[in-house]
Amino acid sequence: MELISLYPTWYDPAMGSGYWIALIATIHVLFSHTSVGAAIFFAYLVNKAYREDRPELLEFVKKYGIFLLIFSYVMGSITGPGIWYSTTVGSPKGISALIHSFVWKWATEWVFFVIEVVGVYLVIYLVGKVDKRTHTYIAFIFAAASYATMMLILGILSFMMWPGSPEWFEKGGTLYSFFGQNTFAQLMIRTGFAMAVTAVVGSIIASAFKDDALKDEVLRKLAGFGLLGVSIMIGTYFWYVQTVPANALEVMHNRMPSWFAPAIIATFGLMLLYFIVALFNTRLLTPVIAGAMVVVITVLGLFPEEITRESMRKPYVAGQYVYSNQIIARDVPGMGIKAELPKVEKYGILKVHPFLPDNLRTVTAENKLAVGKQIAVVMCSNCHQVTKTEGIRPLTDYFGGETNVDRIKRYLKGTVVAGNIMYMPRIPLKEAELDALATYIAHLNGDNAKTLAAK
Amino acid sequence: MDMNPAAVHDMLYALRDPAGLPFFPWAFWGVGILTFAMHFFAVAVMIGGAGVALYGVRQDNPYWRKLGYAMADVSKIAVSVAIVLGVAPLLAVQVYYDPMWYTSNVLSAYWVITFVLALIVAYSLHYVFYFRNKKREGTPKSLWSLGGALLGYLLVGFIMHSLGYQTLSPEKWLQWYAPNGVVDNSGTKLHDFNVIRYVFFILLSVPVIGTYLMAYATYWSTRKDQDAAYLEFAFTLGRKLAMVGAAITTTLAIVYLATLPEKLHAFQTSLWAALWVIGALLPALVAWRAGKAGYRCGYRPFIVAFVGMLLIAIAREMLRYYAVIPYYNFMDYKVNLDWFTTDVFLFTFLVLGFSTLGYLLTVVWKAGKTEGVYEASPIMHVWARFNIGLMVFWTAVYFLLMTIRSF
Repeated sequence: MELISLYPTWYDPAMGSGYWIALIATIHVLFSHTSVGAAIFFAYLVNKAYREDRPELLEFVKKYGIFLLIFSYVMGSITGPGIWYSTTVGSPKGISALIHSFVWKWATEWVFFVIEVVGVYLVIYLVGKVDKRTHTYIAFIFAAASYATMMLILGILSFMMWPGSPEWFEKGGTLYSFFGQNTFAQLMIRTGFAMAVTAVVGSIIASAFKDDALKDEVLRKLAGFGLLGVSIMIGTYFWYVQTVPANALEVMHNRMPSWFAPAIIATFGLMLLYFIVALFNTRLLTPVIAGAMVVVITVLGLFPEEITRESMRKPYVAGQYVYSNQIIARDVPGMGIKAELPKVEKYGILKVHPFLPDNLRTVTAENKLAVGKQIAVVMCSNCHQVTKTEGIRPLTDYFGGETNVDRIKRYLKGTVVAGNIMYMPRIPLKEAELDALATYIAHLNGDNAKTLAAK
Repeated sequence: MDMNPAAVHDMLYALRDPAGLPFFPWAFWGVGILTFAMHFFAVAVMIGGAGVALYGVRQDNPYWRKLGYAMADVSKIAVSVAIVLGVAPLLAVQVYYDPMWYTSNVLSAYWVITFVLALIVAYSLHYVFYFRNKKREGTPKSLWSLGGALLGYLLVGFIMHSLGYQTLSPEKWLQWYAPNGVVDNSGTKLHDFNVIRYVFFILLSVPVIGTYLMAYATYWSTRKDQDAAYLEFAFTLGRKLAMVGAAITTTLAIVYLATLPEKLHAFQTSLWAALWVIGALLPALVAWRAGKAGYRCGYRPFIVAFVGMLLIAIAREMLRYYAVIPYYNFMDYKVNLDWFTTDVFLFTFLVLGFSTLGYLLTVVWKAGKTEGVYEASPIMHVWARFNIGLMVFWTAVYFLLMTIRSF
């Protein structure tokens, strides 16, 4: 039998696998960027503390460091692999594509990560236990290793959107898939974000200091660090948008919830305001306000940003060749990868999917609804709720309550079967499969209508 | 009903990632085994340390209490080490056993998410205990948090055991996914586990923490401010744990191997099964021999316990090989040789990584041995500057390549 590389599908009717990935990723982005920014800030402060004989600055490093151990190195180091786990269950072919192209990059990042974790413990716990030069060297090593982890992961993240250069499709290899303008621009934006979020999180600690002079000094330094970070973010954002493909920009401008753009702009504004206030009147900052600012950044800034980044690469999830529904959509000669769509088109998804029981491989009058549901789960559930009317982009929203199977089929043929929707995968179903899917959608719409009538 | 072998073979080869591997599969296999042994050694210290802490801090004996608080700290740091080291074998298994790993995870997706959340809760509870007992003496406060952390670690261990165990039976996957022809997309079930195997791996923490305590006593023995009687107590306890623990795990290993399912009977009589048992037994042998040396016994028991773990890791991986070889051979994975990324890794790992980590660990080792402030020698400073130079060089090459490829 001709099979394609589809895994079983996990369908979470409550949230959808996409939201699980976004949730864990958002938390991780916050923690990991804080650790990178803080490592750089620590190197600066440790050096300054020893050069100017200011041991009180080391106290801040120690306190922020212990906070960081929990904030970034407990939550961050678990949610890092946690992204692997959530994408493994939500998008196994997507993560597999990244792993197999970038395994050595990830292994290289791991080397730096090990150095970083050992480094953070040493920077914190060796204050006053080793000589000044040794402690300064350790702080520099910690900073360099921490930033290197970001330099490495960024190339992989960019590949999810767009390979480093188009030559990769023909030549293959990480020299072409990893490096490119998109990676470079994204690295700069994230460097700025790491600095900004470090400043906000650090102000939770610094604003609680009893010593007013030290509090003022550290908060002002953090504010300057944060302002520089926001400036880098804003400056490089305009470069970044020029490096993403046109269809991604189209999705970003037209397909995201209307509150996303104002929320992200407002977050930028609030961060600027926060740092300006910190520069001129540190007494206004308290741990509660600083903590609230972290929540604002996470909810209004990071979460929409992560969802947007996830959406912009659609219909693909990796390298512009793996569809969001896990099917390999195009050839990549440089890697010897063959598209799977022709097999789906020729034999039908029911025949080529490795994980279907025999009783669902042929559509009959008895199993039509069950088959239709499985086709919806396999082909649509990565982006749509396929059993309910609420949640992430419910399938029923796109059919206007239609319960006529023929009309639904016509709509599907003109859109996804033909591949006429820019940000959606082409889904070349056989006639019987289309009939089963349309029947299932009509059934869903019928149930929906009954529910509405009952209300 | 189980799938027939030919169908399983077709399914597994279809699931393989078409991008292939950037280097030969045996290399990833070797990395996977070595790093699993390192990861699980840290896991054993983490669980064993938490167990000793939970018992020790509740005792009236001051040595027990002191050791309990010390092991609570050791265990907390071991969690961090275990997580960091766990990334590597997780990466490796996705590379050469991707069909097995991804399928097993998707089939139990909610448990995979639970693993992440439970580990966050457990580790946070560990920190609650740490912050509630910063003085490290007296009656323990919030002991429930340490108990909760340990339970959490045992839970995530069980989930990981089950996910790994499910990979051994690809012939059953379709039946698990679609029992009696009805597809279950919920991912709410753990479909397979083996209690003896799970208990075996968990109880490895007993001999490992035993040898750790022996090394702990040796390490502090050079400090004049340490109480020799306390170190003798730690050593004696450690030796006892190593011998008794290894006797129990060796017995469990034999029982587990004797009760393997029919398709793994060939494994029972293989060299690998013997390695598994020897690996479990080693800590007992070395702890027994260290008896005369007392608490200055050296680090050999701890190192030998790691060698034992490595033997078990090799045997465990061979068992997986025996389980899936009727359908799948990872050695014939397609290779798309990529020397650039391979060389960058090798340089980073073998030169930059070894040198920098070696430096950091040397500093912490010497600082711990020093009463007061550790003053590094000029050679140590040269080593530090060499490491920073390597990192600057690495970063410069990165940005050079990025600039060339971008403009």
